[in-house]
Amino acid sequence: MIRAKFAQLSLKNKFFFSILIVILLISGTIALLARWILISGLTQELEMRGTAIAHSVATRGTEYILENDTAHLLNVLFDEKQLHERRNLVAYIYVEGKSGKILSHTFTTPFPKRLKGVNPVTEKVEKSVQVVPFGGHEAYDIAVPIKEGIYQIGTVHVGLSKAHIDNLVGKLRAMFLGFISAVIIITFWVSHRMAKYIADPVMTLTQISDDLSRGSFTSSDLIYTDEQAGCPAFHDTDLPCWHFDEQRTGANNTGARPHRCKKCAFYNEPGDGDEVQQLTTSFRNMVWSIRLYRRRLQESESTYRSLFRSGPDPIFVVDVLTQKLVDANPRTEEVYGYTRDELVGMRYTSFGQEHAKECFEYFSNDELCAEAMRSARVVHLRKGNIPMYVNVTACFISYRTRPAIIVSTTDVTDLVEKDAQLIQASKMKSLGEMSTGVAHELNQPLNAIRMGSDFLTMVHEQGIDIPKEQYAQVVTEISTQVDRASDIINTLRSFGRKADLLLEDVNLNEPVGAVVSLLSRQFLIEDVHIVTELDPVLPYITAQHNKLQQVLLNLVINARDAIVERNEEGAGVRGRILIRTEYDAEGVSVSVEDNGTGIPDHVAQKVFEPFFTTKATGQGMGLGLAISYGIVREYDGELSIQSTVGNGTCFTVRFPRQEVAQVAN
Amino acid sequence: MKILVIDDEQPTLTMFELLLSTLGHEVLLANSGELGLEVFAEHRPPLVLTDIKMPGMDGIEVLGRLKEEEPNVEVVVITGHGDMDVAIKALNLDATDFINKPLRIDVLEQALARVEERIKLSTEKFASLSTDFTSDTMVITVCGTLGTADEAEIKHVFKGAGKARRIVLDFAENTSINGAAIALLTDSIRSFYNDGGKVIISGLSENFRNVFQIMGVTRFATFVDNIQDAEL
Repeated sequence: MIRAKFAQLSLKNKFFFSILIVILLISGTIALLARWILISGLTQELEMRGTAIAHSVATRGTEYILENDTAHLLNVLFDEKQLHERRNLVAYIYVEGKSGKILSHTFTTPFPKRLKGVNPVTEKVEKSVQVVPFGGHEAYDIAVPIKEGIYQIGTVHVGLSKAHIDNLVGKLRAMFLGFISAVIIITFWVSHRMAKYIADPVMTLTQISDDLSRGSFTSSDLIYTDEQAGCPAFHDTDLPCWHFDEQRTGANNTGARPHRCKKCAFYNEPGDGDEVQQLTTSFRNMVWSIRLYRRRLQESESTYRSLFRSGPDPIFVVDVLTQKLVDANPRTEEVYGYTRDELVGMRYTSFGQEHAKECFEYFSNDELCAEAMRSARVVHLRKGNIPMYVNVTACFISYRTRPAIIVSTTDVTDLVEKDAQLIQASKMKSLGEMSTGVAHELNQPLNAIRMGSDFLTMVHEQGIDIPKEQYAQVVTEISTQVDRASDIINTLRSFGRKADLLLEDVNLNEPVGAVVSLLSRQFLIEDVHIVTELDPVLPYITAQHNKLQQVLLNLVINARDAIVERNEEGAGVRGRILIRTEYDAEGVSVSVEDNGTGIPDHVAQKVFEPFFTTKATGQGMGLGLAISYGIVREYDGELSIQSTVGNGTCFTVRFPRQEVAQVAN
Repeated sequence: MKILVIDDEQPTLTMFELLLSTLGHEVLLANSGELGLEVFAEHRPPLVLTDIKMPGMDGIEVLGRLKEEEPNVEVVVITGHGDMDVAIKALNLDATDFINKPLRIDVLEQALARVEERIKLSTEKFASLSTDFTSDTMVITVCGTLGTADEAEIKHVFKGAGKARRIVLDFAENTSINGAAIALLTDSIRSFYNDGGKVIISGLSENFRNVFQIMGVTRFATFVDNIQDAEL
């Protein structure tokens, strides 16, 4: 009970009361002990003095007692009694005869009757002390026998004034108590100061701690002195001051030497002041540090917050466990068309099922978590399920202690459309370049049809008889040639068609076949022979038929140009373009090999750069291979070149194969 | 008449065979320039029809080889539609005529007729230019094949125009003009026109009319189908 109450006391009071109690106990003990020693010592001393007086009287008075000379005896008595200070102490002296008769006394008044016969002694005792009353006073009566040889001839009574003794004892006691009291008061004061000295800073620290916990840094008067405000590191949180060096090992570490002032306004040298003072200093430094880092944290937070809010791209946070959005910036509202209230709590999968799935799978792998996931040209759905193309960067973070990913998307729909337009334009250009060849190609069946139909007209008009087989032959030939013409037109149309953006399963042999059928006859006229070596069983790849045709068209036309150029230089070789498809465990590839001029190394490094061309001005834009490269990269493929000058060039396009089993053509 | 047809297109060859044999000719076929030369060496036909655009040896080369081997052979080249550059190139190499693809049977018949005429008049292989003056008009009648060799004569004829205000160039049906002669004629017509004269060209086959058109002659001369249409 008491202990519990004590525990609740403040530190100051605990100190105070503890010290007080201990001092009181010690003082009491000392007082009792001292009293006992002093008072008994004093009393004994006085008794001994009285006894000495009595013995002196007994010795000096023996002769007068024997002679019965009372006058001298009285003289002796007075001598002893009146000697200096004794007169205050000795109240009376009297001598009793053997029979109890008073022989002499120092009373100026008649011998008090009450003293008669008191405090008797025999020769066997040294002395006897007894308090006796007399004439309204009290006295310590010390009786000493007077001996002559072995006989007692009388008794000397010396009365010591009790009042005097009490007075002496009283004085002593008062003095002693006064001293004890003074000690207690001083101790009381000192302990009070001590308690205050220890407890006050602790209370202040407690107060500051509480303030800190509440996030208030202003109430603290430990900091913010003028001297501290003048500290160079106080306002400049980037100044590398020696004290917070350890925190500065991150990206912010400028490598600058830590700054150290001659006299630091914040940090005392060790050994300055006692423990309490050291604690205060240390605590103050801690507060300062906390304040500093908290301020930095706030700065950093507000920086990132403003980045988040003012970012030109949508940024949002997705909780990994619930797969729902927990925060989104204003740009997200604009781009996706939802309000913030709608966005928060929305499932990430409602933007795009497939990518969201990939995303969560990616971040469920602990090893990959550390790295950001980047995906290009993902289809995301806007409000109202309007698709758009976005580049997505997702990064794993901890958001309010929950695992989350922060997703940033860039709307690249315009870019994708522009790309498509560029690709289309480049394709149309290729087709334009091919137009002469195509016209010739188309002229052949037209020619045959024309001749056939004219022949029939002539036969009809002139009434010429022709065998039925001839007639059938003409008609069949016309029909075949119409098919041939329409095939050419269909191939052209399939080339010219603008590719949509959906990926499909493609067997590489198909675009190769289309390109070969379109170009092989044309190229023959220029003495360029297209030879194919196609693997009949190819795995599918994920791409777009139309765009692959374009890539192959570019490569084959380039090959033709290289051969023609070589022949123009007078080589006179028979042009040969070998198109080969093959596959292995990882990928499917198609290579286009020619025996043209070949490409020197320094040019080979640049052939995929946009607007790089070796053709004469006006002959080529230098976009064909750049666009082909772009298309191939779009399907995660690779476009590589191997060339020997004077020997020919081989372009190889390689795509990752689908995991599905092979497909026969 | 024995005719050699050279074309890489099998359907075209088939049609030629049907057509020409129906028209009563003997047809030899070759599906490449090389083969054509072999067949020519074997059968020596007076007329060769050859396609220009062919894999391997092309029509121009075939023409050159044929003329080397037999300068008197008549070679008619078949060109892609409107490909006048090639036609002029062929004429420069002394091709007799050219026909555009797609081939119209009447054009072919006319061409064949002209060739037959020329072959019949093979004695008149060399060109003849006769002039005839009526008041202020000079009529130049042209027959046979006008070639590089006739350069001096053409110049002479135009010089002889003298004070004539008008020149009528009347081409006989069997006339063939080679590239150099075309250029020379064009120059002469232009300078006469620039001197304030007027030129009328009559009787020229459609093909040659096209060639003159390409050369820009239409700006200086008027074309008429027949000499009678020219208002003399």
